[in-house]
Amino acid sequence: MLALKERNDQAFGFLYDNYAGALYSIIKQIITDNSELASDVLQEVFINIWRKIETYDSTKGRLFTWMLNIARNASIDMLRSKSYQNSQKNQELPDNVYKGVANQTVLQNVDNIGLKKVLEKLKPEHRILVELAYFKGFTHEEIAEMMVIPLGTVKTRIRNALIQLREYLK
Amino acid sequence: MNVQEYIESGIIESYVMGLASEPERAEFERLCALNPELLAARRKFEERLEGYASENAVIPPPEVKVKVLEAIGKPDSRAEIASIPPTIVTMRNDKEEPREKGTAGTPFILRLLAAASIVLFLAMGYLYYQTKQENKDLTDTNDRLKTSLDTTKNVLDRIVKEQADVVSNPNVTVVNMVGTTVAPKSSANIYWDSASSNVYLVVKNMPKLPSDKQYQLWALIDSKPKDLGVFDATDSKVILQMKNTQKAQAFAITIQQKGGSPSPDLQKLQSMGKTLQNQ
Repeated sequence: MLALKERNDQAFGFLYDNYAGALYSIIKQIITDNSELASDVLQEVFINIWRKIETYDSTKGRLFTWMLNIARNASIDMLRSKSYQNSQKNQELPDNVYKGVANQTVLQNVDNIGLKKVLEKLKPEHRILVELAYFKGFTHEEIAEMMVIPLGTVKTRIRNALIQLREYLK
Repeated sequence: MNVQEYIESGIIESYVMGLASEPERAEFERLCALNPELLAARRKFEERLEGYASENAVIPPPEVKVKVLEAIGKPDSRAEIASIPPTIVTMRNDKEEPREKGTAGTPFILRLLAAASIVLFLAMGYLYYQTKQENKDLTDTNDRLKTSLDTTKNVLDRIVKEQADVVSNPNVTVVNMVGTTVAPKSSANIYWDSASSNVYLVVKNMPKLPSDKQYQLWALIDSKPKDLGVFDATDSKVILQMKNTQKAQAFAITIQQKGGSPSPDLQKLQSMGKTLQNQ
């Protein structure tokens, strides 16, 4: 860890070799349809890890947790970026974005990898919420609005879904 | 607050997976610092998540690593390094500054790049020197060739002019000298200006002679030979002005000792040509 903070690039190479696969997996679970953009994001993520390594605070979580969140945030940013939107041929109209995402989510059950495999085991109403919150990066408020359910219910269901998820990770 | 209930609320998963709101995060972090049980539960979930993610890893394209390593070795990251605390970067002369800090703060890739730059610089210097040297050699050679070309051109101009003068002159008789049985291949042309008595010789094909021998041209006047001068086989293709003669029924070429002789050795008659002049 110290070696990383001092920007030892051998330690960084080791870090890459150990975690690139796991991070690429989460990126691909978010950017499901474009491997090229997914590997661009992975590249950006590792460059950011290198640049921000001194901001990592081990009291707040494991290094992997920190990197995983960087990867997830970068992937969601990409999902929402203009370049990604332009790369989507069947763009939904802005008014229908939420509905479109929700439909997509229900339909997208094939080829699931990683955490998404675990999501399969959840009840559909839980699964959609986790999918929207974790893999699409919507806030609880946004989800409540698009699914037309109370905010409190969204929170409770997501919490419950995550607890189940924990059980399945064993 | 009941810690067990708090743990069971799903806050750990929300927090670790980045789904907790800002107030929830702040509260969780505060409680984690105070409560070892909560911290242990968080760690356990993190390990589980990490284990699961590693098991489900997807191998990325190999070029990503190359690009990442390239990117972090480039100016961007150098600028980044310049912004980290000056105790690491600033080169200080006072000896209290531990030396290893400076080197440890310089990434291997930068040191490698620095070394590579020096090698590149030296290589460029060498190439520059070499190119300059080659350029000079080429210029010199070019100058020599130009001088040589000028000389050749002058000679050629003179020859062309002389030839034109000779050939276009209406008084000039061309005598075609043909080889004898001794030297069947020998041939030359005589341009004889009957008005000025000038005699010109153009060697077309005369075999090379030993260095102590020369060809000698004769005019045969009333069957008597008259010396018109000596020449070498190497004078080929050049128009040579020989001695003048007003009369000649024929011209003959013999091989003589170097410098010529007063009378021809007709045994060695190489070439002969008759003029239209009456005897």
